[in-house]
Amino acid sequence: MGQNADYHSTVSKQYRQLLKQCKVNLDRNDQELPAAAEDFGELLKERGVSRRAFIKWTSLMTGALMLPPIFKPALARAAEQFSRVPVVWLHFAECTGCSEAFLRTSYPGVADILLDTISLEYHETIMAAAGDQAEKCLEQCLHDFPGKFLCVIEGAIPLGNNGKYMRLGPKGKTGVEIAKEVTSKAAATICIGSCSAFGNIPAAKPNPTDCVGVSKAIGVHTINIAGCPPNPVNFIGTILHYLMFRDVPPLDGLGRPVWAYGKRIHDYCERRAHYDGAEFVQQWGDEGAKHGWCLYKMGCKGPYTYANCSQVRFNDGISWPIMAGHGCIGCTEPGFWDTMAPLEKQIHEDTFGGGQATIDTIGTTLLGVTAAGIAVHAAATACRHRDNKSETK
Amino acid sequence: MEHIVPKKEWTVAIRYNHWLMAAAIFVLIASGLYIAYPVNLSFSDKITEMHDIIFWHILTGICLTFLFVWRVYLMFFSRFHADWKDFFAWMNIKNSLKQVKFYLLISKEPPEHTHLYGPLQSVAYGGLLIMVALIVLTGLILTGAAGYKAGLTGIMYTMVRPVERLMGGLASVRLIHHFLSWGFVLFIMVHMYMAFWYDVIFKEGTVSSMISGVVFRKAHK
Ligand code: HEM
Ligand code: HEM
Ligand code: SF4
Ligand code: SF4
Repeated sequence: MGQNADYHSTVSKQYRQLLKQCKVNLDRNDQELPAAAEDFGELLKERGVSRRAFIKWTSLMTGALMLPPIFKPALARAAEQFSRVPVVWLHFAECTGCSEAFLRTSYPGVADILLDTISLEYHETIMAAAGDQAEKCLEQCLHDFPGKFLCVIEGAIPLGNNGKYMRLGPKGKTGVEIAKEVTSKAAATICIGSCSAFGNIPAAKPNPTDCVGVSKAIGVHTINIAGCPPNPVNFIGTILHYLMFRDVPPLDGLGRPVWAYGKRIHDYCERRAHYDGAEFVQQWGDEGAKHGWCLYKMGCKGPYTYANCSQVRFNDGISWPIMAGHGCIGCTEPGFWDTMAPLEKQIHEDTFGGGQATIDTIGTTLLGVTAAGIAVHAAATACRHRDNKSETK
Repeated sequence: MEHIVPKKEWTVAIRYNHWLMAAAIFVLIASGLYIAYPVNLSFSDKITEMHDIIFWHILTGICLTFLFVWRVYLMFFSRFHADWKDFFAWMNIKNSLKQVKFYLLISKEPPEHTHLYGPLQSVAYGGLLIMVALIVLTGLILTGAAGYKAGLTGIMYTMVRPVERLMGGLASVRLIHHFLSWGFVLFIMVHMYMAFWYDVIFKEGTVSSMISGVVFRKAHK
């Protein structure tokens, strides 16, 4: 008991110290960051986000970042500073789905305001400038905020043909060149989506352009917000963490923030009780599906996928794939398009060599062949060694 | 004149190890099959069938892990016969060819008994131990991922987790695990057949030797 109390007081002391440091950091940010274009409080009012909704959101984010409630006010301050961080958003081999998912959500919430007002110094999809002008914007940013801006990258980088499969801008620079130039001046590089994190769909077999993820392409450390598309909560949370602690959050072996990618989908899935109880949907639309049973047999890849979708869901917690009735496809894992295939079947139903053969059909065939082989061998032995009584020494 | 001399072939430790391993492998194949193709058995009021079977699979898997470590220990440090050298019997190519001919019934002359294992046996048992190592490795990664990572399993998980990345993620780990389990099914068939075959051909009591530890060699006086 006494030990327990000791433990708690030590922990809360550590948290209080951390909070103090956090306040120092936020004060420093206030001085160093460029001024905000719009007042955050005004914005919230304008968009009809009540004070109460904002506080609810801070609780959610504080919890998602695995911080105790005393950090809520600090997090609220970080949210105010959010739109003051200069960001350069680069696009390489991708479908722009991540940008779409982030910037065009229909549900008005705090997250959307943050993403709408994010200080994009450069973003090819939504910037007004084009051609030389756009290039100028980028150069300006690198000049104005060296070592201060965040580089956000969407999309994989093709290495094939000396990187020439991807040429961008008026000067026709390759993706590799641009990535090297910009990341070398950035305070940190955040990879948005599995494409920039691990290569993903552009890198799926047979990968003719030899696409790879950013960190592999140019050998820099990146914060990988994996997903196809990733959850905006994970992007916002990582930047808030960066503001509050002036450091990147702890990352796993694949560069993903542990607070968001530390647990499997399966670990917090609402259908998990049905998995443990062996209650499975056997067919789309069957009785089990109506009862909300587990989608394991319909190819759910939740057991192999590290992400927090089952905890924070999408669009302000409205829903997420498994809640909507489809299994997880494992989009936050490296090479998911290949390793998680077939997406609507169990993992062992993967086929080999372009045919119909799965592990189990191959195994069963071999089993038959072995049995036949044994029978033949036994019969042959019976003939051949018929006369042997004491042949061996 | 010819008479039969019993020869101690397997130590007590090897025999216990072998049969415990065999038992563990049978349990693991059965429970693993269930995990891959789960059905609602409704064998009790408890509604945690899948969970329970995974639990027993993992528990047996951890036993297999220890049995494997024990076997490797015996291989190098057995006080009676550290047999690691015997796993290289196949290096004698001439003898190996003799063995192949003998197995294929081309020749009736068995290869010389140079090592504890015949040349092909050394490949089979060596390969099998490697397969056990791999299935234990992938199994431990899956165990840690399934949330069993406190204490000892936690230490083991920290050690094996980097391999998850090398294999290309948890899904690939699971697929390789499934793949290997087929290897065991096929191995057992051949392994048991060969044991009986030896028994019939040499009449040295090969099958019982794994229980009693003794083979009956014929000796000329
Ligand atoms: C001969 C030995 C073994 C066989 C034949 C075997 C077989 C299997 C099979 C067929 C599966 C299902 C794979 C799928 O769904 O495609 C499985 C899953 C699994 N096995 Fe094994 N296994 C063996 C050894 C082990 C060992 C040594 C461990 C751990 C130390 C282990 C831990 C696991 C775990 C954790 C799972 C996943 C269960 C989950 O979904 O949470 N297995 N095994
Ligand atoms: C018919 C009865 C069997 C006999 C006579 C037999 C005999 C043997 C022998 C002589 C060895 C080599 C000794 C050694 O290296 O320790 C061996 C190895 C092995 N056996 Fe069997 N076996 C039998 C059944 C089985 C079954 C049913 C299984 C599995 C379910 C099995 C699994 C193994 C394994 C995993 C090894 C290699 C590991 C090792 O080298 O210790 N055996 N067996
Ligand atoms: S991660 Fe997915 S959504 Fe994002 S750009 Fe790549 S393919 Fe599109
Ligand atoms: S639906 Fe998927 S994630 Fe959820 S319990 Fe079933 S297998 Fe796990």
